[in-house]
Amino acid sequence: MLEVRDLVTAYGTIEALKGVTLSAKQGEITCILGPNGAGKTTLMYSIACILKPVSGSVKVNDTEITGTSAPHALRCGIALVPENRLVFHSMSVEENLMAGAYTRLSSDRAGVQADIDNAYARFPSLKDRRAQIAGTLSGGEQQMLAVARAMMSRPKILMMDEPSLGLAPLIVAEIFSIIRQLNDEGVSIVLVEQNAHKALQIANRFYLLDQGRVTFSGTPGEIGEDDFIQRAYLGSKVA
Amino acid sequence: MGIDFIDVAQAIIDGLLFGSTYALIGLGFTLIFGAMHKLNMAYAASAIAGAYVGLAAIALSGLPPVLAFFLGPVASGVIGLAVYITCFRYMPASNMLAPLMASIGALFFIDEIIIHATAGSPLAFPAVMDDVYFELGEYGFRGDLIFVLVTSLVAMLVLLYVLFGTRLGLATRAVSQQVVAAELCGIASHRTNATTFVLTGVLGGLAGCMAAAAVGVISPLLTVPITVKGLIVTVIGGLGSIPGAIIAGFAVGGFENLFLLVFGVNQRDIYVFLLLFVFLVFRPNGLLGKAIKRD
Repeated sequence: MLEVRDLVTAYGTIEALKGVTLSAKQGEITCILGPNGAGKTTLMYSIACILKPVSGSVKVNDTEITGTSAPHALRCGIALVPENRLVFHSMSVEENLMAGAYTRLSSDRAGVQADIDNAYARFPSLKDRRAQIAGTLSGGEQQMLAVARAMMSRPKILMMDEPSLGLAPLIVAEIFSIIRQLNDEGVSIVLVEQNAHKALQIANRFYLLDQGRVTFSGTPGEIGEDDFIQRAYLGSKVA
Repeated sequence: MGIDFIDVAQAIIDGLLFGSTYALIGLGFTLIFGAMHKLNMAYAASAIAGAYVGLAAIALSGLPPVLAFFLGPVASGVIGLAVYITCFRYMPASNMLAPLMASIGALFFIDEIIIHATAGSPLAFPAVMDDVYFELGEYGFRGDLIFVLVTSLVAMLVLLYVLFGTRLGLATRAVSQQVVAAELCGIASHRTNATTFVLTGVLGGLAGCMAAAAVGVISPLLTVPITVKGLIVTVIGGLGSIPGAIIAGFAVGGFENLFLLVFGVNQRDIYVFLLLFVFLVFRPNGLLGKAIKRD
């Protein structure tokens, strides 16, 4: 479904990704874990075509999207819930959702309205705040809004960059149950997480990213969680 | 010579009416600043250039003069697009100075073209409703200034509708608030920015035509003062604030005419600048501007 091969992305002369290869399979939850500065967000932005990689390739269903534009990647079925949510802070909740459906806003009014209703059914707290300015929502609500906004494009692959960042445990649990729910509905998920414990509970496959390289990959059952956390955050040599 | 209350009130009325063109120019600066967090210094020059094109078009074709108010804004929109492509589109996003300097270059480039094309001499610009004069008690309302006001208000309402009632406006606001998220929503930011330049260009062209119509002449000497007035309006209103630019436009027009009455034409602009300094010192974010913030 999503194939990333030898992806190199640089900021000036500094390579943040030094040749990343990974794949996400249809219907699965793929987790990307790693410490701060590993290149996780750079990887997300490179796949979503916000950043232009130096070399390598990103394919969605065998269609090459490397180096095209973010709107093009979206049309190919990839949506990203960015790190720090990035809601449109001066727009209402409903306008944020409409912006998420921008590409078919004029051609498919009925469909957009149906999707907005679906989003409100999934996130009842957003319905209560539909006219509220997004910048005044709590962190958890902003995260819900960012997820709902990304879903408005009806993606085949939903990428999420640290959706639990800075949120209370109860909200984090809610976010993870929504991820699982979306996955059950057939959306493939690529999840970037610092919360390895939570991530390993729902992941079908994981990749460990460190200093711009994939250092380890597998399925959660393959190694113990303690061993995993050791590798992820303390360095694989210690283990 | 004594200045009585009626003179003061009349000066302020005339100033407020003319101030609607400043509001339009201020809106253009503030919209582009809101969209890209950059100043387009060539904006007022494009507006005046558009008015010239409108004037030339009716002079050469013999069309009715009122069409200058339609052709001018269209021309300004095209010039606005050209300024975007040459001064903003391909400049590195992280470099704030490059597009600023490029657009200052475009300001003088456009200015020079006008000077060469007209041998630097002012041309008469058709006025609309200049033979109309309303009286209300002791106060008079010049018909041409009322035309300016009504046209400006209509243009502002159309602009607000486009911004808050259309798909294009949603895209414009999305790009100005969070450009990465806008791209992730499928909004092509470069194309949206180009549209913003065309839209503000049209607005500026209208303001340019009406400023010229109210004064009765158009001259290349207008470009720099209108640029400066537009910037003053933008700063006083608060950078990026749409209602701020509208209010400040009227306020600067009113104060300017009051200063003109009290201090004379030679000293008028000294006091307009003093007004700017007062704001920069005591209210640097302007009337309605937010503290500079970006996420």
